[in-house]
Formats: sequence, C-alpha cells, structure tokens
Amino acid sequence: MSHRGEGDGMSVESLVRQFRDGVITRRGFLAGAAGVLGSLAAAEGLLARVAGAQSKKTLTVGQSADVSKLDPQMSTTVNDIAVTFNLFDNLTSRHADGKLYPSLATEWKLVNPTTWQFKLRPNVKFHNGDPLTSTDVKFTYERSYDPNAKVITKSVLNTIERIETPDPLTVVIVTKKPDPLLAARTSYYAGQIMPKNYFQKVGEDEFNAKPIGSGPVKFTSWVKDDRMILDANRDYWGGKIAVDQIVFRPLPELAARIGALLKGEADIVTKVPPDQMERVSKAANTKIEGVLYGGLYCLSVATQKPPLDSKPFRQAMSLAIDRELIVKELWRGQAAVPNSMVIKGDAHYDPTLPPLKYDPARAKELIKEANYKGDELLIETPIGFMVMDKEMSEVIVSMWKDVGINARLEQIEYSVYQQKIREKSFKGVRWTDPTSAYNDPDGMMWRHLAEGGPNAYWFRNARFDELGTAARFSVDEKFREQAYKEMARIELDFLPLIPVIQPMELYGLQKAVEWKPYANQMMEFRRFNLKVNRA
Amino acid sequence: MASSTHASVENRLTDEEPIVRRRTVPLFVWASAAFLLVVVLAAAAAPLVSPFDPIRQSLRERLKAPALFAEEGRQRHLLGTDQLGRDILSRVIYGSRVSLAVGFAAVIIGGAIGGILGLISGYAGGVVDEIIMLVVDAQLAFPFILLAIGIIAVLGPSFGNLIIIVGLSGWVTYARLVRAQVLTIKEREFVIAIRGLGGSTWRILVSHIVPNTLAPFLVVTTLELARTILLESTLSFLGLGIQPPTPSWGGMLNEGRGYLDSAWWISAFPGLVLMLTALVVSRVGDWLRDVLDPTLRGA
Amino acid sequence: MQGFGRFLAYRLGRMLVALWAVVTVVFVVMRLSGDPVPLLLPPDAPIAEMERLRHEMGLDRPIFVQYGVFVNQALRGDFGRSIHFRTSAMQVAWERVPATLELAGASFLCAIIIAIPAGVISAIKRGTAYDSIVMGVALIGQAAPTFYIGIMLILTCSLWLGLFPTSGRGEWRQLVLPAITLGAFAMASIARITRSAVLEILRADFIRTARAKGLPEFYTIAKHTMRNAAIPIITIVGLQLGNLLGGAVVTETIFSWPGIGRLAIQSIYNRDYPIVQSCVFMTAGMFVVLNFMVDVAYGILDPRIRRK
Repeated sequence: MSHRGEGDGMSVESLVRQFRDGVITRRGFLAGAAGVLGSLAAAEGLLARVAGAQSKKTLTVGQSADVSKLDPQMSTTVNDIAVTFNLFDNLTSRHADGKLYPSLATEWKLVNPTTWQFKLRPNVKFHNGDPLTSTDVKFTYERSYDPNAKVITKSVLNTIERIETPDPLTVVIVTKKPDPLLAARTSYYAGQIMPKNYFQKVGEDEFNAKPIGSGPVKFTSWVKDDRMILDANRDYWGGKIAVDQIVFRPLPELAARIGALLKGEADIVTKVPPDQMERVSKAANTKIEGVLYGGLYCLSVATQKPPLDSKPFRQAMSLAIDRELIVKELWRGQAAVPNSMVIKGDAHYDPTLPPLKYDPARAKELIKEANYKGDELLIETPIGFMVMDKEMSEVIVSMWKDVGINARLEQIEYSVYQQKIREKSFKGVRWTDPTSAYNDPDGMMWRHLAEGGPNAYWFRNARFDELGTAARFSVDEKFREQAYKEMARIELDFLPLIPVIQPMELYGLQKAVEWKPYANQMMEFRRFNLKVNRA
Repeated sequence: MASSTHASVENRLTDEEPIVRRRTVPLFVWASAAFLLVVVLAAAAAPLVSPFDPIRQSLRERLKAPALFAEEGRQRHLLGTDQLGRDILSRVIYGSRVSLAVGFAAVIIGGAIGGILGLISGYAGGVVDEIIMLVVDAQLAFPFILLAIGIIAVLGPSFGNLIIIVGLSGWVTYARLVRAQVLTIKEREFVIAIRGLGGSTWRILVSHIVPNTLAPFLVVTTLELARTILLESTLSFLGLGIQPPTPSWGGMLNEGRGYLDSAWWISAFPGLVLMLTALVVSRVGDWLRDVLDPTLRGA
Repeated sequence: MQGFGRFLAYRLGRMLVALWAVVTVVFVVMRLSGDPVPLLLPPDAPIAEMERLRHEMGLDRPIFVQYGVFVNQALRGDFGRSIHFRTSAMQVAWERVPATLELAGASFLCAIIIAIPAGVISAIKRGTAYDSIVMGVALIGQAAPTFYIGIMLILTCSLWLGLFPTSGRGEWRQLVLPAITLGAFAMASIARITRSAVLEILRADFIRTARAKGLPEFYTIAKHTMRNAAIPIITIVGLQLGNLLGGAVVTETIFSWPGIGRLAIQSIYNRDYPIVQSCVFMTAGMFVVLNFMVDVAYGILDPRIRRK
C-alpha cells in the first residue's frame, strides 16, 4: 500500500501469522509468473541491444525530465526546446556569445519601418528530402499565431500582419507596427521552420510523433521516460555534427544525473546545483560549464491583496532580502545580484545602477509605515522547478521573519502552480524565472508586466504602459534606451515583480566534449560549436 | 476470505528460536525500551534539550561537518549543520515530535477504523461482511501511493491531512486481523452459550471478543507504527510530507539526499534514528507477540 | 471439486467488483484534484480557448454523464485518449508494463537467489559473525526507506565501486541496482523467515534420523526447508506484488526506469485522467488476475481447500 508494500509493516512473521489465520488470502505464484515474464522481457531487450550494437559516436544528454512534445509550437519547456532546436532550424540564431547570426536566412533587412525582407539559404532540404522554401516559412509563422491552431506560442510572432513569398528564397514580412525585434523573434521558439507539405499530409498528432525538420539531427526513436535517439543529418547544410547520434535521457534524480556524468554514461547533464559543482569539476574526466542565465529568478507579487497592495510593504519585502548572502553562501558565488528587471547581457542594460540593496532597518520602518498587522504572507511554490527554489524560499521566509513579516512557505504541485498562474489565484508571492526572450527588455520586463502578461496582477501604471507600448514599436534605439531606464525605475518603485538573483546555469560535461551553453537555455548542437575529442 | 489453516505456515511464525518460551525479558527488549524512552523523552522535552532553534538558519554556517569541538569563535554543532546552516541535532530532536506524532496518530486512526470495521464485519457476517471485505480487497488492489498523491492534491498538504492519509493506509491490516479473531471466538462454546442464555450482542463483543483480540491487535500496532514512520519519509520524498521548515526525520532524510557524498551527516543522523526506531519498535512487537500469544510458542 | 469451483467463481466475482470500485475511486479523486486544461495551454491563452478545449474533452458535462461515458469506455477496455500524449491511454500504459514486470521479476529473483541461501547459511552458522551480519543487513533492509537504499546503492555500487551503471534500462547490469532496491524489503523478509524455518528443522526429529542414516546434512536441510518454507515465502512475495506499483514509483524515479509507476505519477501531476485510470486499472487488474491464479494454485496444491 505504500512505497514498497510494507503493507504489514516490519514483520514477515506477522504476515505469515495472518496467513495462517486466514486473514490474508493466498497469492504467491504471481512471483513465478512475474519472474518468467520479466526475464523474457529482459532477454528481448538484450537481443534488441545486441542486434543494434553500433560503434556510433554518440553524445548523451541527461536532462531533469523527459521530453514531452516535439511539435515546436506545442511546447515552450526547456527540455523540449533542447530537442526541437536541433531537429529544426530558425531563420536566425542567437549563439553563445549572445549575438544574432544567420541560420536559414542568409541576410535580412528592414525595407521600411514595417517591412522586413529575409533571403533564404538555397538548397536546404528537410529530412524527408523536400526542399525548404519561403512557403514553409510562411506556413510555420502563420500557424504560430493562428487563433484556431492549438499552439501555445501565439505571443511570439503576433506582431506580423502578413507574409509574402515573392519567390522560393525570399520572405517579406509586414508587421502591424514597426517591430525592431522581428529578426530576433525569428530565432526564438515558434520560429522553428516546419515542412508545410509533410505537416499537412500527416496531421498534427503524427507530426508530433514523427517530426521532420531541417536541423542537424533527425528524429529516429523515442522510448518515453527512457531515451530519445536522434541520428545525425549527414546532408546538413551547416555540415554534419561531430557525432553520429544524440541521445536525450531523462534523469530526474539528482544523484543519478550527476552519477551518470561522473561514470561517463552521460556526456552533458543539465541543472547542476552549485553545491555539486566542486564534485564535478574535481573529477578526472568531467568539468563544469556555466553561463549567466539570460533571465532572472523573481518573486511575483499578488499586488491586489493586503498587505501586498501597499507599496512600502513590497519595498520592505525587497529590502529585507540579503541577496549578497544568498549568492555568496547558498549559490557559492554562482549568481549575480540584479539591479533591475533589465538584465545583464541584454540590450539597454544599465551597469551604472547599483545592485538591489539589503537594508533590514529601512525595511522595518517601511513595514511600520505600511500599517502591517501581521497577516500571513505565503510563498506558494512547487519544489524543484528552479535550481535551489526550496532553499531560497526557506531562506527568504526566514529573512522576512527577521524584519517582522509573518511569512510561510507552502509547497504546491507544479500543475497546481500552473493553474494558479492562469487563475491569478496566488495568495501571496510565487517564484518565477522569466527568460529574456529577445535579449531585450521588451521580451522581459514588458512581456511579463504588460497588461495581460503572466506577472501583471493588478499592477497598472499609466506611464509604464505608455513607455512600454512606445518602445515596443519604436526603431529609435536611443528613445528605447531612455524608455526602458524609466520603466525599470517605475518597476523598482512599485515592485510587482521582485528581482532576486540572476543565476549561473551550470552544466556538467565530459572533458572530451567541447560545447558552450547558451544564456537563453536553447541547447543547439551544430558543427561549429560542438567538438568531441574521443574515438 | 478463505480461512483454512496451514499447519506448515503456523510453524514459521517466528524467526526467534523457541527459547522465547522462557519468561525472562531478553536484553534487546530492555535496550529497545530504553531507546524508545529516550526518543519519547527527547520529543517531549525538545525545547529543553535542543542546543539550538531547529528552524534558525545561518547561511554562513551551512554544511558544517559534525564536530565535538567548535572552531575558534564559532558555535559547536555536534551533528553538523544542514544546507541552510540549521543545527542537525536540534532538528533530529524536534523531528522526533513530528515523526512520533504522525506514527501514533496514524496508528490510532488506522486501528480505530480497522478495529471497528473488523468487529462489525466478523460479528455481523452476511451482506455487511461482504461489503466491508470488498472495500478491503479494493484497497489492497489499489496502489496506495497514487491515492495519497490524489488526496493531497485535493486537500492540500498539511499535518492533519498527512495523518489521515497515513492512517488510512493501514486500517486494512487491523480489519482483517480483528475479523479473523472474531470469527474464531464467535464459534467457541462459551460465546454460543452466552448467546443461548440471552446475552446481548454488545456484551459478548465487549466482554469477550475485545479482550481476546487485544493481544494480536497490540502486536500489529507496533508493526504498523514502524511502517507509518517509514511511510512518512516516502511521502516526503514525493514532496507530500511535512511542510518546511518543520523538521521530521523523513523530511530531513529526503532533504539530505542530494548531499549523500558531500555532506553525509544531513541524512545520516535522522536516517539512523528513523531506522533504529522502526527497527526497535518492530522487534519489540515480535517479542510481544511471542509472549502474548500462546499459540505461537508451541512451535 | 464443485464446491471449490463455486468458491473460485465467488472469489473472482468479488475481485471484479473490487476492481470496479478501485477504478471509480480513481475517477472521483482525479476529477476532484484539478483541471487539466490550464496545463495544456500557455498562460496567456484566452478563456474562450480554454472553454473550447474543455468542451472538446467533455469536461464541461455533468460529472455523472462523464462517469457514464467513462464506465462505458472502461467496459470496452478503453479509457480514451491521453490528454498529454494524444494517443490511446491504454496503449501508452501497456507499453510500460514490460519494464515494470522486468524490474519486479528481477527483484523477486534477486530476493530468492540471495535471501534463501543467506537465510539457510545464517541458520546453520547460528551465532557466528556471519549470522549477525546477515541478520543485521536484513533488519536494515526492512527499516530503511526505499529511496535511501536506492541512492546509497548508486553511490556505493556504482560510483565508488564502479560495478553497475547508475541508471537507465537496457543491458542486464542496469537491472541489478533497481532490482535490489525494489526487492530489499522482500529480500530481508525472506532471509529472516528462511532462517527461522531452518532453525526449526535443525531441531526436528527427522533431522536426527537423517543424520543417523548418514544422509548429507545440507541436502536434508535444503529439501525440508524448501518444502516447509515455500508457502510462507510465496505468500510474502504475493503480497509484495500486490503493492508493486507503489514501490515502483520511487525506484523507477531514482533509477530513471521507464515503467508504469513513473508514468502513473507523472500523469497524476499532468492531470492526465485517462492515463492514470489506465495505469491503476492495469495494476489492479494484474493484482486480481494473479490473485486468482494463486487461489487456483493453492486449491490444486492443498486438498483441504478443495474440500471446503
């Protein structure tokens, strides 16, 4: 009845005794039955493996959860993107250095404030041999924001008004208003180019089960919760990658994930917590590659509910958090203290702004000012969806208590968390880890705090909205810089989102593998960025 | 429920050698009792015996190894500190409160529900018996962990809900045990005689069946106690256990699972106490059974 | 024999009713535990879209109508399409059965291969260091949580000693650690019970007779132990299998084993009702079928039951 069926507790004897008493019915030959079936299954698995024994050069990636969907417009989770950005290509690509490079598009230009023209790379073929043309681009983009399509990427490319395809290698995109970030948007999710003909032939579900793209690997097989095998695309336009196949394995248990890396069963593992860093980097064959996350770990505040509706109270919450201490001790220095919602690594980041302050004395004053009566303040969070989320929650609860805030942590299930986001029914604060979508404040501060955004509760500020809207549609970078500066100031004053840290994302790698992680969590493996120095 | 008896099974009831026939109390029982007493006392007097506040964090002191003597200018943490710099010893002491409370409360719930349903089922027979035993079968066929997750998703995680779930996981054992005992006793001559003389059902139940069932009931209780303490730790593993920052042994064991080879002390000490407690309680249960139930000693 | 046949029919009937009860409980708890729709759409999806999806999945109908549909489906052995995988839920669950059976089979095989000899030797060498160690390990096996045993095994046997892979499914070596983890409790139980059985036999008259006759002692002990200890051991093993899924959830998570336990737990988190229902139905069904087989087998082995 429980984890390993100690239905009758510690004692076998009691079982047997009850058996004698007739309290327990007789069951038992099942052991034999299961044993036989089990060994048959094992033998079958073994045979399959022997038959498929290959001397293929393989790159094994261990992630914290299994892939869920392969249709690139049906999922935005990190573990799925890691696969789809290798099955598919985008028009543009943002590399580890944070810059935008050509990918399927060889060049692009702004023809007039609302018209972009992309030139496609010639002779690119999908895995099934079909040529990749402007029709596929048009189809993909239009589906991504089609109100009738069951996709979940509608907000990425919805600035597009129409798409024209004057010839197979030219795409002309007309936006509703000037969109300075369009080229950057095409590198993001929703922009993985899908084959129109194949998709329309097989339909949504079949496409999700057997996706066809133009990327450096092709879909080969997937045993759910075990492994996904992707064979290298030998005819890839960017050159065949350094391995013959890539295998993605879900390794949810941290000890097993790190163990698999240390034993050489995995070549790359994701989500290494800072406390495990030393172990990986000190081992003979493994190393750590870290990248400053292109996003933040923030606390999102349900600003409509007292005492959270009080501005001084929210400021006190922020001032009571000793971010330096969290970074230095809990994160072992593997994180940065942010200075606003405009993050390091993004356009218009302001390095002159000081990191967010820790000032418990001022926090106490503000709490008094807010007339706080000691209502309970909840952090509702699932555990394990961000690195160190449980530890940070406990630490912050304790820091809040130190300044007199009656805080408490409540663990919730991830699905409940999702539901509460949608219903905006969080009672207090919750964690969120917004990614800066296009390396620009528009894809970060504005995307999350614009009206209807996932973190905009009842926070509305006329000036903030005016600037956000204007900056979104302006191609004048000087104006945009000023706008985002002012918006960041307004945000820090009102604090609907309390930035906490900008973490390093740590990956464990075999020393033989040369690859640098991307700040936006997209795990691209291409010929130019992956080397495997072994036979 | 088929209820025939296997002589061969009867003989296997104890792995202790038949020297248990002797009436002396073995050393291990004394030792076990002493250990349990220490645990219960520590739980009761937690605020007095804990060197630190169990939920007080100190990030600068995190992951300190156990030390008999403090470093210069630092506080001494006999069993080390955890990932948030909290004192392990204090947490183990306070954790005993939660673990024992969950264990006892769950056993009481399971025992009460199971005992009463078993009594009714065994005594009434017929349709009532059928229905109750049907529920028993259903629960046995049900993967309980899944039910627990479902229930917590509905009710939310809290101490009370945890106790209810752990309690519900164990009632079947009691019900079957009590029912079997009732069935045996019901047909004995003296009960039939009393009934023949017009004795009331309740009276028979209370004055004869209940006392006769008490001994095996007690034995099962000790075994269940050990099981529930373990079950709490499994629920913690699944994120369904006691909410932080309240310490429980199972929860601590679970929190330390990412640190097994870098900071072994986080999980080793609560794990040790948890295992010892489970072990000791169940061994005492084994011994109790041998002493209390004469049918077992003739082997 | 006719009485026994009727007894079996009665048992089977009741188990089927129990199965129906189990599936109903799952239905109710899953519906109460939350709405799957928000998990399927992005956070900024409009309400109308949610309503549309809810309608498409039949979740906007009254609960008893949904139950009617569900019972109708269940009778045909079909629980609908998985919300998450978008294929037949029964098929998704069925694909996981071999992995879990493989794990369970191996764990009981381990339990029997390791535990019975250990118990026999322990009894013969009663009071020695060997005996203490074996019984000590057995006690720990009964008193340690599964997840702790699993992680400890990864650390010691896999990382420090390098004997086995850390996780995954494929070659036989990957099966060893999860099998031991899942079987630890049964193993400990069987070792203890075997020891006590052998101890008794050692004191029995027929052993003395056998010795007097000059038969090899080990042979005699082994033969009698197997006969006398078989039924209780099988009973324990049977009970363990009844609880297979519960144990599998933890073991499969730790060792990344693609079995039905992990599928079930993830599906609960995803609110994927059809999959959860299929998983529970399948494991409970397995329990029922195996129990029935055991009932039959006991009847064949033990004439006293037939006479009842």
